[in-house]
Amino acid sequence: MHKLGRGHRDKVQQFMAITGSSEKAAVQALKASDWHLEGAFDIFYSQPHIRTVTDSRHLEELYNRYKDPYVDMILVDGITLLCNDLQVDPQDIVMLVVSWHMKAATMCEFSRQEFIGGLQYLGIDTIEKFRDKLSYMRSELKDEQKFREIYNFAFGWAKEKGQKSLALDTAIGMWQLLFAERHWPLVDHWCQFLQVRHNKAISRDTWSQLLEFAKTVDLQLSNYDEEGAWPYLIDEFVEYLTENGIVQRGQN
Amino acid sequence: MSAQKKRTFKIEAFKHRVELDPKYAERTWKVLEHAIHEIYNHNASGLSFEELYRNAYNMVLHKYGEKLYSGLVTTMSGHLKEIAKSIEDSQGGLFLEELDRKWGDHNKALQMIRDILMYMDRTFVPSNHKTPVHELGLNLWRDNIIRSGKIQTRLLDTLLDLIHRERTGEVINRSLMRNITKMLMDLGSSVYQEDFEKPFLEVSASFYSGESQQLIECCDCGEYLRKAERRLTEETERVSHYLDVKSEVKITSVVEGEMIANHMQRLVHMENSGLVNILVDDRYEDLSRMYNLFRRVPDGLSTVRDVMTSHLRETGKQLVSDPERLKDPVDFVQHLLDEKDKYDKIISKAFNNDKSFQNALNSSFEYFINLNNRSPEFISLYVDDKLRKGLKGVSEEDVEVVLDKVMMLFRYLQEKDVFEKYYKQHLAKRLLSGKTASDDAERSMIVKLKTECGYQFTSKLEGMFTDMKTSVDTMQGFYASQYSETGDGPTVAVQVLTTGSWPTQPSAPCNLPAEILGICDKFRTYYLGTHTGRRLTWQTNMGTADIKATFGKGQKHELNVSTYQMCILMLFNSADQLTYREIEQGTDIPAPDLKRCLQSLACVKGKNVLRKEPMSKDIAEDDAFYFNDKFTSKFIKVKIGTVAAQKESEPEKQETRQRVEEDRKPQIEAAIVRIMKSRRVLDHNTIVTEVTSQLQSRFLPNPVVIKKRIESLIEREFLERDKNDRKLYRYLA
Repeated sequence: MHKLGRGHRDKVQQFMAITGSSEKAAVQALKASDWHLEGAFDIFYSQPHIRTVTDSRHLEELYNRYKDPYVDMILVDGITLLCNDLQVDPQDIVMLVVSWHMKAATMCEFSRQEFIGGLQYLGIDTIEKFRDKLSYMRSELKDEQKFREIYNFAFGWAKEKGQKSLALDTAIGMWQLLFAERHWPLVDHWCQFLQVRHNKAISRDTWSQLLEFAKTVDLQLSNYDEEGAWPYLIDEFVEYLTENGIVQRGQN
Repeated sequence: MSAQKKRTFKIEAFKHRVELDPKYAERTWKVLEHAIHEIYNHNASGLSFEELYRNAYNMVLHKYGEKLYSGLVTTMSGHLKEIAKSIEDSQGGLFLEELDRKWGDHNKALQMIRDILMYMDRTFVPSNHKTPVHELGLNLWRDNIIRSGKIQTRLLDTLLDLIHRERTGEVINRSLMRNITKMLMDLGSSVYQEDFEKPFLEVSASFYSGESQQLIECCDCGEYLRKAERRLTEETERVSHYLDVKSEVKITSVVEGEMIANHMQRLVHMENSGLVNILVDDRYEDLSRMYNLFRRVPDGLSTVRDVMTSHLRETGKQLVSDPERLKDPVDFVQHLLDEKDKYDKIISKAFNNDKSFQNALNSSFEYFINLNNRSPEFISLYVDDKLRKGLKGVSEEDVEVVLDKVMMLFRYLQEKDVFEKYYKQHLAKRLLSGKTASDDAERSMIVKLKTECGYQFTSKLEGMFTDMKTSVDTMQGFYASQYSETGDGPTVAVQVLTTGSWPTQPSAPCNLPAEILGICDKFRTYYLGTHTGRRLTWQTNMGTADIKATFGKGQKHELNVSTYQMCILMLFNSADQLTYREIEQGTDIPAPDLKRCLQSLACVKGKNVLRKEPMSKDIAEDDAFYFNDKFTSKFIKVKIGTVAAQKESEPEKQETRQRVEEDRKPQIEAAIVRIMKSRRVLDHNTIVTEVTSQLQSRFLPNPVVIKKRIESLIEREFLERDKNDRKLYRYLA
């Protein structure tokens, strides 16, 4: 440890605190990622043999604690209890990340497979470990690639089973949640526009393309290409913005 | 014959040189010199050609060619200088004549001199690279006379002055002019061009520039063009009479440039007499003249064409937006046809059937016909009108002509599928009310539509004709099977329509009177007996009925009414008075139709078999109706209004348009799928272009609608976006 510089030492400490790994593993991972914390996390978690072994008995116990008495699933009450134990708000976006890791099919419920499988993957078998992992999971939202995956996952997760499209209210809620993490200034206008002009469910294509739109088109809409094969709803949104003078289209 | 060696004779020159004594050469030269003088002094008759020739020959032979040649040059030049002086001295008009005469003399002299000096010309001249005698003579003339200081300018000025005078109307001596210009040409084309043609063209340019300025101020367009044409003809004629033929194209382009090209815009846009006015007044001669003149200058025809196009588009636009015109669809279409006829005539009579003008005409029509989105409906109404009554008594060829003209308008339509919908509706009404004037004309129209748009367009229309025919056969079969049963009861003529071929009518079945239920059921049984697996529904909103009615004083009439009207009237067999509500209940006819029927039964003079209280024009819900036993008519058979096809009311129009839009969606989707299936991966814009081109023979798809259809297909997993390039779509098998 004393061979490392001060900044690096801090990082190692941080790493160990979050992942619960040994110092050796921490240094190894950090070195491999050129002393970038996030990269180091990725490396650490993607190496199967470094993954912490979980105790399946503990996992069973955990599952049973939250499972619904009548059905072999964790339902709303169970989730509330879980959030309590984790000391997070059920509306906290980190629960979405959790669901993503678990590959949960629908919001507000986890199947046995989803819950246990997800925790195993994450190397969690106690509530304490779970709690510790939360900040790592929050950090995953900062990663562009992961954020996109989580965002797209959210569509399937938030919609009703058997429906093709996402109800507008739910979509708006999700957008506000997601774009609080990755700031997009036009999100409120977007939601307003939808309520006023569209008032119908959102298709998967529109959902996923919206993220691209938010990422690539600037706030003056100066690089918005009418021929850009954006979904028609987004074309209408642009019209809405310019008509109402919310944006003065920057001409290049 | 044995080959004998030929013996030839050869003549050889003297082997020894025969020297000529220089004095002898001088003497010989003097003889020749003297001869030249005599020739120029018109005393040639006293000379002996043979002697002179021999002298010249000897000189050359004895190597005195140089002396001879240079002597010739000096002598001839000397004479020419004298001639020049005499020409310079001549006064006024005689100048040209003198020049001409002296030129003639010189040529004669030159010929004689050349003949004399022929030997020198053939031997000495070429080997010493000298100019041959004839050419020498011309050059000397050129240098001493034409290019002499005093003569050169005077000559040019005289020529130009004469031409100017002729242009201003004087008569000049053309043959003299011809001789002079021919002289210049003989002297060499560069002489003609430098000394005459170039300045001539310049002067002409300024002449015509001035004249055109003058004319454009005081003439109207037609007059000006006439004058311009005249000037052109004049110049061409001038050239043929006394100028070199190569000058023609040069002078005409000067005239064209000054008179036409420079004033094109002003002429074409001249107020009260410009192109637009000429078009409006159908002045074929003026138009033809304008076409022929403008065609000679760059951008001339395109100027004419552009003005014609914008005028046509303007008039067309006004025509299709004029609310007065739009009140009568048949009249509207007639005006379009008339306008087309007018311009067709103009193009063929005055514009030489020029294709580019034809194209401009077509694009203009296409532009403004589609400005009004009721055009398809109106064109169908026009055809409807003609097929109902308008073509009675017209010969077969004329029918074809009218229909062909309508087809031309049809081709301009962008929304051909809207036309199809209306045509179907109108055809259905015609067929079912038996209102077609000529079956042949109907068929001919279908054939034309099929040729234009393909089988799919007309298959349903043909289905309608088939149904009509089949129904006739069915009726025959029906009555054959009923031989004993009919007796006194009502007879029925049924047309069985195949759903799908006929325009969908919302069928509101009403209550049929008991008197006819019997036979209706019999028919139903008969039909379903021979065609199992089918379902029949009475379309009570479309039929007609003939009813025998007896009125107050015993007058009997036969009333021809619609099915609805029949149901209403039959109620009065059991009651003399009925309220609106009672009628409504008894017949179950939907309110708007009921009101229309009651209006035609009670409020129309001459057809009021019912009486209404109160006597207002409109039907109110608490009106009462009475059997009008005081009804009279001079006709035994009274027809009470079946409604002909009319242009739709606003709500009906909206409905039809909506149906058209709905029909378009699957067509667009089918096109997208077809394209993607074969191309597999395509970008958005290419799909839009391809779809548009595939569907353009029926309608112009809206790119926004295409985009929505693509998204719908993505939703239904026919397509997906490419993972790397969001502008690409991929076909999902």
